[in-house]
Formats: sequence, C-alpha cells, structure tokens
Amino acid sequence: MDINTFIEKLEVEFEELEQGTLKPDTNFRNIDEWSSMYALIIIALIDTEYEVVVTGEDLSKIETVQELYDLVKLRLN
Amino acid sequence: MSVFSVENKTILITGASSGIGAETARLLAENGATLVLSGRNKEKLNEVLQQLPTQEHQVISADLTHEEELEALVAQCPNLDGIVHSAGIVRPFPVKFIGHKQINQLFSINYSGPTVLTGRLFRTKKINAGASIVFMSSISSKFPHKGGALYSGTKAALNSFSKTIALEYASQRIRSNVISAAMVKTPLFDEAQKAISKEMMDKHGEQYPLGFGTPEDISNTMLFLLSDASRWITGTEIVMDGGLTAGQ
Ligand SMILES: NC(=O)c1ccc[n+]([C@@H]2O[C@H](COP(=O)([O-])OP(=O)(O)OC[C@H]3O[C@@H](n4cnc5c(N)ncnc54)[C@H](OP(=O)(O)O)[C@@H]3O)[C@@H](O)[C@H]2O)c1
Repeated sequence: MDINTFIEKLEVEFEELEQGTLKPDTNFRNIDEWSSMYALIIIALIDTEYEVVVTGEDLSKIETVQELYDLVKLRLN
Repeated sequence: MSVFSVENKTILITGASSGIGAETARLLAENGATLVLSGRNKEKLNEVLQQLPTQEHQVISADLTHEEELEALVAQCPNLDGIVHSAGIVRPFPVKFIGHKQINQLFSINYSGPTVLTGRLFRTKKINAGASIVFMSSISSKFPHKGGALYSGTKAALNSFSKTIALEYASQRIRSNVISAAMVKTPLFDEAQKAISKEMMDKHGEQYPLGFGTPEDISNTMLFLLSDASRWITGTEIVMDGGLTAGQ
C-alpha cells in the first residue's frame, strides 16, 4: 500500500468528486462535497478493503488524507 | 398496588450494561421488579447492579451472537413476567459496501439475538402467562437514512417479529410491543455523533420539536409497557421521537 493507490481508491468511491482533487494534505472537511456520506464511505471502504476498523471518533481526530493513510497503515501492522 | 407497578414481576433486560437498558434497569428496580441483567460486559453489568436500590437481582452475562452463551442464559434464567430487548448495535454501511459479512454483523445481534432468545425462552416455558415483551426498535424502520439500510432492516424485521408474538401468544395474554425511538442520548448516540460530526448532529437535532430523547424518556414508557396498565396494548409500536416525524 502506498499513499497514491490509497488516494485513488478514495476518489473512486467519492462519486461526485473530480479525480485529482485529493492530495495528501487535503483537509477532508474542506472538500466542497463533504457530507456525512463521505465519513460513512471512508469507514466502510477501509473496513472492506484493508479489514481495518476506523471509528467515527478516529475520524473526528484527524484532518488530512495523509493522517488517515498513516492511521490505516499503523493499524495494518 | 397501583396498576402502573411492576412489583413482584421478574424481568430480563438485555443490553442492561449501557444506555437505555441500564436506565430501564434502574427504573424497573425502583418500582419493585426483580431483574435479570444481561450483556457481554460483566463489570459494567455489576456496576449497574450496585446502583439498584436492593440487590436481589442477578447478572447473567452472555454474548447473544454465540449460540452456547445464549443457551446458557436461557438455562439460568428464572421464569419471566417481562423481557426488555435492548441489546443492539449501529453500524452504518453505504449500499455499495453491503456484503454477507456486513449483513451477518448487524443481523446476528440486532435480529437473530433477540428472536432466538425469545423463541428459546418460549420453548423452555420460561415466559409466564400475562408477560409483557418489549423490543427496542427505531423510527428508521419506517424512515431510513443514508448508510442505514442494514440497521433499519434489522429493526423492521423486529417489528414484524413482535407482531407475530402478539398473535401467537394472545391466548396466554402475553403481549409484545416495540418502542420506535429517534435519537436518544446514550453511548450509541455519542458514537454516531463522532461518525457524522457534531455540527451535523446539531443540525439533525433542530428537526426535533422536543429535542433529542434521554434514556429516562424511554424507560418511563418501558415501565408502562411492562406494567398491567398497558394490558390491552399488544402487537403495536409506540413512537418516541420528540415530534420528529409528526409533520411527515
Ligand atoms: N440511542 C438511540 O438513539 C437509539 C434509537 C433507537 C433505537 N435504539 C436501540 O435501543 C437499543 C439500546 O441502545 P442504546 O442507545 O442504549 O445503546 P448502547 O448504550 O450502545 O447499549 C447497547 C447494549 O447492547 C449490548 N450488546 C451489544 N452487542 C451485544 C452482544 N453481541 N451480545 C449481548 N449484548 C450486546 C451492550 O452490552 P455489552 O457491550 O455489555 O455486550 C449494551 O448494553 C438498541 O437496540 C438500539 O438499536 C437506540
């Protein structure tokens, strides 16, 4: 897993988002289309794709794509 | 003795270690019921037990998704005059992520747990004539939300199960009802709020004419449904949503 494939996977799932919008330092909450659905999609994607559990509480503590990636990577090991 | 009393009634509460189940335990015990408190977390169950006015209650821990633990609970259970089914979880899954694994995760505890437990208690004749059974359901069974396909499905299925009990056991005057609640401030609420952010939860709250519910709001209705004051109420649903769906 590297951050670029991680970002690609996220972008595929965020259907209204234009490809190439997400960067490692993108703050989730600044995405125009951000909605409660996005949080649900992140949690479900990480669960099904990496079998890693990320909770709503975890998400509330992080801001950027990089931080999310780091968290998943940490829990994978 | 008031018709609103639950004195001398033995009542099983699942999900008694937290939230609505724990609060219902306190109110029923204050009103004279003898309780069986169940859940997985023994420590938390004992904490709830210690807060009750008397200690003539018992704790029987069980994971309701494990066949043997459920059977052990049934075997140890005394005869019952009431059951409060409050064990349950919320796991949002957008439609495109639903697979057999996710279905099992939610249905095993929210649906199979309470239904198999009730069936086994009937089969072993542990549910007394005149007993009252209450299931915690949700308004989402009729008004689904994004990500809630599985959760609202488990609750819709419980609603049908409860009505079936009402039909099959009316001859023994055993009643079965559901409480369909909107958001109630419990640990489950806190988790949901963290998932969707506080701003969004606050915005959702503005749609409630009477604001979000509290565990006490629910336990008051539990007391009524478990008492003989509700003896002509069966096979139905009491909606508790602070007015949320009144205009819909
Ligand atoms: N809060 C709301 O806004 C709301 C709204 C509508 C409906 N409801 C329903 O009301 C019920 C209670 O909710 P709550 O808010 O009080 O939730 P809560 O505080 O999270 O309590 C859930 C309870 O379920 C038990 N439980 C979970 N998994 C279990 C398992 N595998 N085996 C046995 N017990 C298990 C937990 O005990 P252990 O962890 O000890 O096992 C806990 O006592 C649920 O069915 C929920 O769907 C809640």
